[in-house]
Amino acid sequence: MQAVLALQFRVLAALVLRETRATFGTTQIGYLWAIITPAASTAVLVAIFSAIGRQPPFGASLALFFATGVLTLELFNKLGNSLMTVFDANKALLTYPPIKETDVLFARAILIAVTYVLIMAVFFSGLMLFGLAGPPAHPGELMTAFATTSLLGFGFGTVNAVILSLWESWRHVEKILTRPLFFVSGVFYVPSYLPRRAIEWLEWNPVLHAVEWVRSGYYVNYDSTVLDKSYILWVALLLTFLGLAGERLTRIRRSSA
Amino acid sequence: MIELHGVSKSYKVKAVRKHVLNRLSFTFPRDRNVAIIGPNGAGKSTLMRLISGSEQPDEGRIIRHVRVSWPLGFSGGFNGSMTGIENVRFVARIYGADTEAVIDYVRDFSELGRSLNLPIRTYSSGMKARLAFGMSMAIDFDCYLIDEITAVGDESFKKKSQAVFKEKLPNSRIVMISHSMSQIRAYCDCGLLLTAGGIWYYDAVEDLIDAYSASMARSARKS
Repeated sequence: MQAVLALQFRVLAALVLRETRATFGTTQIGYLWAIITPAASTAVLVAIFSAIGRQPPFGASLALFFATGVLTLELFNKLGNSLMTVFDANKALLTYPPIKETDVLFARAILIAVTYVLIMAVFFSGLMLFGLAGPPAHPGELMTAFATTSLLGFGFGTVNAVILSLWESWRHVEKILTRPLFFVSGVFYVPSYLPRRAIEWLEWNPVLHAVEWVRSGYYVNYDSTVLDKSYILWVALLLTFLGLAGERLTRIRRSSA
Repeated sequence: MIELHGVSKSYKVKAVRKHVLNRLSFTFPRDRNVAIIGPNGAGKSTLMRLISGSEQPDEGRIIRHVRVSWPLGFSGGFNGSMTGIENVRFVARIYGADTEAVIDYVRDFSELGRSLNLPIRTYSSGMKARLAFGMSMAIDFDCYLIDEITAVGDESFKKKSQAVFKEKLPNSRIVMISHSMSQIRAYCDCGLLLTAGGIWYYDAVEDLIDAYSASMARSARKS
C-alpha cells in the first residue's frame, strides 16, 4: 500500500513539474507571468469600473468586491477549459506504464489550483498594501470555499473531457454555454439584493454559490440569503463522480480509437 | 515472468474493427529472452504495449511479476517542446530513480553533448533513439521491452548498445521486436511468431526463424 502511494505521489509530482514547464515555458519568469496576468487584468477591470464612478455594491472597496467574484469565476473557468483537452496530452505520456489515465487530470488540476491560490494571495495582499481591503474575516471559510470551487471546476472539466472525447464539437458548445457565467454568477452585484423572481433562476447556478461562499469567507458580515453550501457541494461531487465514471467507461474506447 | 490470460485487443480503423489479438493466453518463460517477429501489421507493437501496461486490453488480464520497462521505440513519450535533459529528468522522476545519476549516464551514453539542452523536436530520429535507449538503460528493469530500437544508429552506437546489453543480461531479460534475424539470433533464445493466421510459440530460435521464413515465402507466393 505504501509503495502504491509513493508511486502515485512520485508520478503526480513529476507530472505537475512537467505541466508547469509545458504551460509556462522555459523562462523562470514564465510562471510569474501566469500569476501576474490574471491579477493585473482584474486590476484593470477594477480601475475601469472605478473610473466610471461605480459605487461598490457591498463594503467599502470595489476592488475587493469585484476580485472575489472575478477570481472565483476564473478559477472555475480555467479548470473547466484546461481539463477538457487533457486526453490529447495523455496519448504520449501513456507510453510510460506508471502513468495512468487519470494522473494527468489530477496533475493539471493541482497545478491550476495552486496557481490560483498564488494569484489570489498576490492580489489580496496588493489590495491590503494599498489599504483597499483588510485581511479575510473568516480564513477557514475562505479556504473551504476555494477547495469546493476547485472540486466543482475539476468535476466540470472532467465531464467536459469525457464529452469532448465522444463529440469533438463540444469544444465550441461549452464555450457558448459558459460565456453567460460572468453575468449570472454575482460577479458585479450582490445576489441577496436581487428580486425573488431573479434569484429563483440564478440560484441553480453553482458558480453563483461559489462566489457567495468566497465572499462570506472574506467579509465580516456578507450575510448571503442565497448561499446554499450543500447545493454546491453536491453538484461538485456529482460532476466529479460523473466525470470519473465517464472516463473509466470510455477508457478502452479512447485507447482503441 | 509475465502472464497473459485470455487477452483480446481490437482497433477501429475507419469504422472497420480489426482484431489484433483474440483471447491470447501465454506465459513468458522465466530466464529467457523472447523474440517477437512477424510481418508488418500483425500486432507486434500492440502486443508489446499491452505487455508493458501502457495500453489496456479489451478483455483478459495481464500479470507482471517483475519490473517491466516501457516499450523502447524511437519516439514514444518524448515531449517535443522540452529539452532532452528535461525529458530524461521527467522519466527518472516517474520511476523514482536518482535523477542526476540518470542524467550523467545518459549524457555519457548518448554522446549528444550540447544537443541535450535543445528541444526534442530539433532531434533527428537517430538522436532520439540514442536518447531513448540511454535513458532506459540508466534505469534498472527486470525486463526490457525493445521495439526495433537497436536497428537504428551508426556502427559505434550499435556496438555500444550491444556492450550495455551484455552488462545487463545476467540480471535482466529482454523481449524484442526485430526484423533483423541476425539480431534475433544474437539476443533471443525463443520467440513468438505473429501472423494474420495466428500466433505460435517456438522454443528454439532457429525453429522460429525457419517458420518465419516459410510463412513469408507462402504469403509472397500468394500475392
